[in-house]
Amino acid sequence: MSEKKIVVPGDLVTEQRTRLGSHVFTENGKVYSDALGLVYEDRDSAAVVPLRGKYIPRRGDLVVGIVESEKFSVYGVAINSIYASYVSKQEVRDRLKRGTVISAKVFDVNEINEAKMEDLRVFYGGEILSVTPVKIPRVIGKSGSMLAQLKDGTGCNILVGRNGWIWAKGGDINLLKEALDLIEREAHLSNLTNKVGDFLKEKKVNK
Amino acid sequence: MASKKDEKIEYVKNGKRLDGRKVDELRPLKIEVGVLDNADGSAYLEWGQNKVIAGVFGPKEALPKHTQDPYKARVKFIYRMACFSVPDRKNPRPARREIEISKVCSEALERAVFIERFPNSSIDVFVEILDSNAGSRAAALTAASVALADAGIPMRDLVASTGVGKAGGEIILDLNKAEEDAPDAVDIPIAIMPRTEEIVLLQMDGLMTKAEWKKAKELGIKGCKQVYEVQREALRKKYEAAEKPEAKKNPEAEKPKAEEKKTAAKKSEKVSK
Repeated sequence: MSEKKIVVPGDLVTEQRTRLGSHVFTENGKVYSDALGLVYEDRDSAAVVPLRGKYIPRRGDLVVGIVESEKFSVYGVAINSIYASYVSKQEVRDRLKRGTVISAKVFDVNEINEAKMEDLRVFYGGEILSVTPVKIPRVIGKSGSMLAQLKDGTGCNILVGRNGWIWAKGGDINLLKEALDLIEREAHLSNLTNKVGDFLKEKKVNK
Repeated sequence: MASKKDEKIEYVKNGKRLDGRKVDELRPLKIEVGVLDNADGSAYLEWGQNKVIAGVFGPKEALPKHTQDPYKARVKFIYRMACFSVPDRKNPRPARREIEISKVCSEALERAVFIERFPNSSIDVFVEILDSNAGSRAAALTAASVALADAGIPMRDLVASTGVGKAGGEIILDLNKAEEDAPDAVDIPIAIMPRTEEIVLLQMDGLMTKAEWKKAKELGIKGCKQVYEVQREALRKKYEAAEKPEAKKNPEAEKPKAEEKKTAAKKSEKVSK
């Protein structure tokens, strides 16, 4: 990974015509950043990965949630978003109780950012850990490399939600927490996968 | 008293002002980012004698519900002066002046933030003036804009603000209290989005000729751009600094290791028993 440029809102990302990635906007044919973040520029698109931010549901996101309420035909699910999100009762065979941990895929987000979800899975036991949502891509890594390493190193069963919530069960959850802290602290630096790998190895040896 | 009024103060003498600054020079400006742990974004700013702390919370659900707008977010800006921020104690009740400043600053920030991306929500900006000495609304807006960027809220540009005006017949940048109290003083707080030079806040009290106004506007925009550079530097510094302190983190990481060893030893003891 090459060194990345830090930009602030309103900074020029590129003057070339490219496809727009996340957190950029165009004005007079030039591409500007809309957030404090790092520039990711490749052959045909320009994007900024922000360093802070809240979760806004997008179509196709896999999220971890907690059942919050029940209405006539839907369950209200908390997914770390400021907007309400629902899963239809048609998706579920058994009745869900309040507090049940689920994972689901967002299949529709309406104009006021309310999410409808499908492909529901229910989880029993385990813990929910939380990470800043913008740092989730780093927790997963390139084609899942970081996640595989975390699963290997800690022995936990892990499911990472795009919303910043991570469900984990079994294994060494405290070690997982420490590793996630490390990722969150150094998410904007390069060579993170190796660093976390070394960290997990070191801990294993010391046990 | 009359004799005092008759005394003529020279506000600009040999190109230098009362406090030794040049005509187009700002007071020393310092910004620190991420000072509040519980806020989503925050900034502390010192500008001359002004001391300002800004915290951003949100976007979150706008409450009470009738304040929600399904087309855009609301930027709730609360400007508040601490009781001890001025020489005489200030009544802590929000006064006419504070409510006005909150309103104009909120409108200035609404122009910069992509509010249409957060329907029905509220972005709360709290700015506390700890010490004030002229130009506190410019300081508040400057700090708030940095705090918003720190919170990761999408914006078209930062908002940079400064004061510009006239004292003793001269157009000067960033007036301090003594200059603001000049008999012919004109005070113009101005805020711009530096990339486009779009003016998002402009107020004025006093009288000026057209030529003077043109000069003041130019000087104001120049001043705002200087402020903008300080804002950018402060934001970048927070993350550039984080790249180095590797050495500091290691001792932290080692502490729990020792504890874990103990617990692991205890566990093995239990197993052997």
